[in-house]
Amino acid sequence: MKQYFAGIDIGSTMTKVAIVGDTLVSSVIGPTGPEHRRLANKVMEEALNKAGLDFEDLSYVVATGYGRINVPFADKQITEITCHAKGIYSLLPTAEIIVDIGGQDSKCIKLKAGKVISFVMNDKCAAGTGRFLEVIADALGVPLEKLGELSLSAGKAAIISNTCTVFAEQEVTSQLANGEPVANLIAGIHEAIAVRIYSMANKLKISPDIAITGGGAKNIGLVRALEGKFGCQVLVPPEPLLTGAIGAAIVGKETYENAAGRGETLKRSTMGLQAASFFS
Amino acid sequence: MADDKKPRALATQAAAKIPKFVRGNMSATLKAKEEGKKVAYAYINDGQDEIMRAMDIVPAWGESFSGVCAAKRDAEQYLQKAESDNFSRSLCTYATCTLGFDMLREEMGGEMPPGAPWGGMGRPDMIIGSGQQLCDPRFKWPQATQHYLQDVPVFVGSMYYPPWDPNMDHKGQEKIYVKYATEELRACVSFCEKHIGKKMDWDKLAALVDLTDRTWDIFIDTYELRKAIPTPMDTGDAMNTMVPLTFNLGTQEAYDFYADLNLELRQKIEQKQGVADEEKYRILWGAGLPSWFALGDFQYFNSKGAVFPVETTYRNAEKVERLNLPKTNDPLEHIAWRWVRFWTHWYDKARNRPGSIPKVERIIEYIEDYKCDGVVFHSAFSCRSWHAGIVQQAEILRKIYKDIPVLIMEGDIVDISSYNEADTHNRIDAFIEALETVRSKGN
Ligand code: SF4
Repeated sequence: MKQYFAGIDIGSTMTKVAIVGDTLVSSVIGPTGPEHRRLANKVMEEALNKAGLDFEDLSYVVATGYGRINVPFADKQITEITCHAKGIYSLLPTAEIIVDIGGQDSKCIKLKAGKVISFVMNDKCAAGTGRFLEVIADALGVPLEKLGELSLSAGKAAIISNTCTVFAEQEVTSQLANGEPVANLIAGIHEAIAVRIYSMANKLKISPDIAITGGGAKNIGLVRALEGKFGCQVLVPPEPLLTGAIGAAIVGKETYENAAGRGETLKRSTMGLQAASFFS
Repeated sequence: MADDKKPRALATQAAAKIPKFVRGNMSATLKAKEEGKKVAYAYINDGQDEIMRAMDIVPAWGESFSGVCAAKRDAEQYLQKAESDNFSRSLCTYATCTLGFDMLREEMGGEMPPGAPWGGMGRPDMIIGSGQQLCDPRFKWPQATQHYLQDVPVFVGSMYYPPWDPNMDHKGQEKIYVKYATEELRACVSFCEKHIGKKMDWDKLAALVDLTDRTWDIFIDTYELRKAIPTPMDTGDAMNTMVPLTFNLGTQEAYDFYADLNLELRQKIEQKQGVADEEKYRILWGAGLPSWFALGDFQYFNSKGAVFPVETTYRNAEKVERLNLPKTNDPLEHIAWRWVRFWTHWYDKARNRPGSIPKVERIIEYIEDYKCDGVVFHSAFSCRSWHAGIVQQAEILRKIYKDIPVLIMEGDIVDISSYNEADTHNRIDAFIEALETVRSKGN
């Protein structure tokens, strides 16, 4: 019988599910919202439906991300750092540094053959995170998903000297009032984030094989700014938001198979999937 | 510092006695005021402990008081008070916490601010400070305090040690530094004599210096018992059991405390009683004062099978024989030699490993002696002297030693507003996973 494994990554803004067998079978990305548990059920059910599977068809489920503790049906909880490393290794096996720019934090992870060697995190302030971009997009009246494209048309990157979100927002609005084109301002903001990420990555031994995950990876302007700073191409997986969930599913698969190799069958969580209402 | 919560099940019984020590130190300052004895604001690791004890001056430790405020999560009112007079929170929060406390007490005409943790500290008759290399608050904090306690005389001495330079043999320099430190201590004695109106009893001082030597020895002998696997005590406890060494040096109680702890650890080792239910990982606390309001994080590590058999923080002692101190009949000179050699005795080792520095050499020594699998550093934003250079130490360690898993936690010593429990635990989880990775690779 074919075996399937699920990974669920509950981040601060998005919940992601990946189901893998021999390859990726199905995936779903939904908003997290304040009710982790209910949404975890909902997104998992959707991913199972897409794959034509029942919850009982899953051999093992691993939860990751900030909300990982709130997934009652998971068999194991692993941090997103390990899961990103596993996920990237399966998608871009040459990568040795991962830059993960998430909704509320950013991290740099150093890995060797998919295993975490060390990591650094920025979680004390919003600078260098998705939240920072959201605030600036709002201040400029530009939809978040348009920031990347728009910044590529910049004549030059405006100099944004503040990385503190509150001050940067003020600085951007006052430069806007002085006639600085929006595209230049966005390019300047990407530049400021890239500088911050670079100095964080510098605490690890930087190697030229760098991959980016998380929401920030979907912003082409930010990716270009990072490439400028790191002086090399930055690899982007096909769906950067899914990296952690795929990694979690792979961790599940490996855990299960290692146990099987020892002649053990891992116990599943007694908490099954609860029917989710799609009307709410 | 010692909180008055229920002790941990696996903590040592000795650690459970610490709240009494801390309370005792604080109430001694209040009692001294009633009895007409002199109270002095004092600062840790100052080299002046025996001088104060020999002259019956009761020390009031600001760092200890701030630690208690933090552990009781009661520091915010004092921090805010100091902030209201333009002291920045990025200044040492030990300093700002006591400054806020002093400001409140003065506003109340010298009365103890209501609800001061554990009865508060007595108003000092003098302030005896000792600046240390790198730490600016240690020079300015006593003077800033005097701004509010204008009638209180201040002495700020300084204790230096030769700077580390891989191309320079420090031995020729040590004597100069010892001479300087001795004169500083002599000036401290004169200051005390002047303000308490009594001469130093030099025989008593010599006896107390000898007692401190023996306390250093038994402290190290006891802490080295933690090399045992499973370790009978970890850093979570050591952040409490450091109290007698740090705040009660030059007292028989401090010596007796470590003698008792020694016996207890030997028993635990005999019975193979460890800190964690199952000791899976041994970690070195590589640097940094802890977040006193979050000592529970050590238990979080323990719950994952991770223990800290050794730390650099508050291990401000060494077996005296290992320091090879020159003989002298001057107790002040002996204190100075002990101080200087404590810092320089890693210099030769560092010089022998290209690219190394003494602080990293110390870390490597502990990793090997205590069989550690990883290193945790705590970077507290408001203390520059202890915490500056942590990232550099981690980088050098990896470069000259090996790619050992390292976690740098961020927070503060007193200011809880910089702390996020969920994030901290998330980092700890990731670190444990990295330890597991290295373990499974068989490194
Ligand atoms: S060493 Fe750090 S904690 Fe101690 S007084 Fe200086 S700044 Fe404050």
